[in-house]
Amino acid sequence: MKRILLALSLGLAASAWAQDDLLAELDAIAPPAPKAYAFATFKGTRIINQQSVELPAAGVGQFVIGHRFGALNDRPLYNLFGLDVAQIRFEYSYSPVAWLNYGAGRSSGSKTYDAFAKVRFTRQSRGPGFNWPVTTAYYTNATVVTTPFTDGFEHFFSDRLAYTHQFLMARKMNEALSLQVVPTLVHFNLVQTMDESNDQWGVAFGGRYKLTQRMALTAEYLLRANPLDQTRNPLSLGIDIETGGHVFQFHLTNARSMADPQWMMQTPGSWSKGDIFLGFNITRVFTHKAPEFR
Amino acid sequence: MLPGRPKTKIPMKKSLLLLVTLCVSYSAMAQKLVSRDTYVHFFSETPVEDIEASLKDGVGLVNTETKEFVFQVNIQSFTFEKALMQEHFNENYMESTKYPKGLFKGKISGDVAFAKAGTYNVKLVGTMNIHGKDRAMTIPATIAVSKEGLVVLESTFIIKPTDHDVEIPSLVVTKIAKEIEVKVKSTLRAN
Repeated sequence: MKRILLALSLGLAASAWAQDDLLAELDAIAPPAPKAYAFATFKGTRIINQQSVELPAAGVGQFVIGHRFGALNDRPLYNLFGLDVAQIRFEYSYSPVAWLNYGAGRSSGSKTYDAFAKVRFTRQSRGPGFNWPVTTAYYTNATVVTTPFTDGFEHFFSDRLAYTHQFLMARKMNEALSLQVVPTLVHFNLVQTMDESNDQWGVAFGGRYKLTQRMALTAEYLLRANPLDQTRNPLSLGIDIETGGHVFQFHLTNARSMADPQWMMQTPGSWSKGDIFLGFNITRVFTHKAPEFR
Repeated sequence: MLPGRPKTKIPMKKSLLLLVTLCVSYSAMAQKLVSRDTYVHFFSETPVEDIEASLKDGVGLVNTETKEFVFQVNIQSFTFEKALMQEHFNENYMESTKYPKGLFKGKISGDVAFAKAGTYNVKLVGTMNIHGKDRAMTIPATIAVSKEGLVVLESTFIIKPTDHDVEIPSLVVTKIAKEIEVKVKSTLRAN
């Protein structure tokens, strides 16, 4: 017993003298590895039309321009596959802190103005202590349609309004694959018929798969519980291209409108009939408040 | 004490020896200088864009006896002016989820007396591990020892992304310098 103790302490002294375990000692004094948060779950704050759990960083503003061209089946040669007729959306948003983003936008379809906000609750992480398996966020949007009513009735201003609520849950499965599920509610102050519900429910699904460091495939679908008459579930397929300061998102979709209630719940187009629209989003960020870094 | 239990008493001579060896091992530990707030800054300069980032939580260890050293940083600690740059740095270039640390270890070459105040010009000879790729490097450094025994190591050197298999696509090749200037300032204290 005593000898073992003696040998042990001699061994300790020897090891402390030893040269090559400086690295092991460094591990002992180095702070424990910080919690590693999943970052870049998606390249953009939208997957295609659908919001993603991503927010612009704190102090960063983001400008997005979206285009949706005419339907591929609408006299394709005459309209050059829809390129002659485009709908446009632009929006600007700002993140005062890392977990909050708000902004406003305007979509040319139905001349719709909107204001929106996104709040992040949890972040997927790995490391010591408790780790969330998913990143979660709440997204809300209020829209005003400004085209005149054509039904001959008198209308209140409130008839023009619709509200979107989404609870976003996403997981970066690995470096390449990210998946998202989004319970969705859209409230229309005015619907077309008595039979239709003002509250439209659905679950949206989205995903991206990275092909290279700067290119990814994306897809999204919205499954609706109580759809409005003569509308279809929106399905979009796309490709993300990152070029430093910009993200380019090209896609094919049966939803032409870009205002949230419209692409989610009022999509008339059908993939099988060829009502497919080519579109793109371009994202550019502006740093308003840089972090301390020198 | 229960009856019949063997006594565990260490004789005087041996316990003294034990104490001495323990003291020796302690003093061996005390020959290490430690830094937990090493500052690292890098700068990439091109006509198109300047990119810089820094951290101040690098750790370092210097054995004043053997003159061996090791410095380590968490790649994700680097903070940039633009958040998107930081994301691209981690995701596309350094792949910091896969290679979370940068490491430089080796030996100080040149005369330096850690116990005597003064400024010493030395060379750090060692292996730089960045992006999981080792590269042998010799870089100049100054070690300033103050009267109070504070040791400040400073160094400026060049890292080439290509040396560490950091892929830079042709699209951004004009924005990222081929030689990146790195500045290090490390204040070392007796542990």
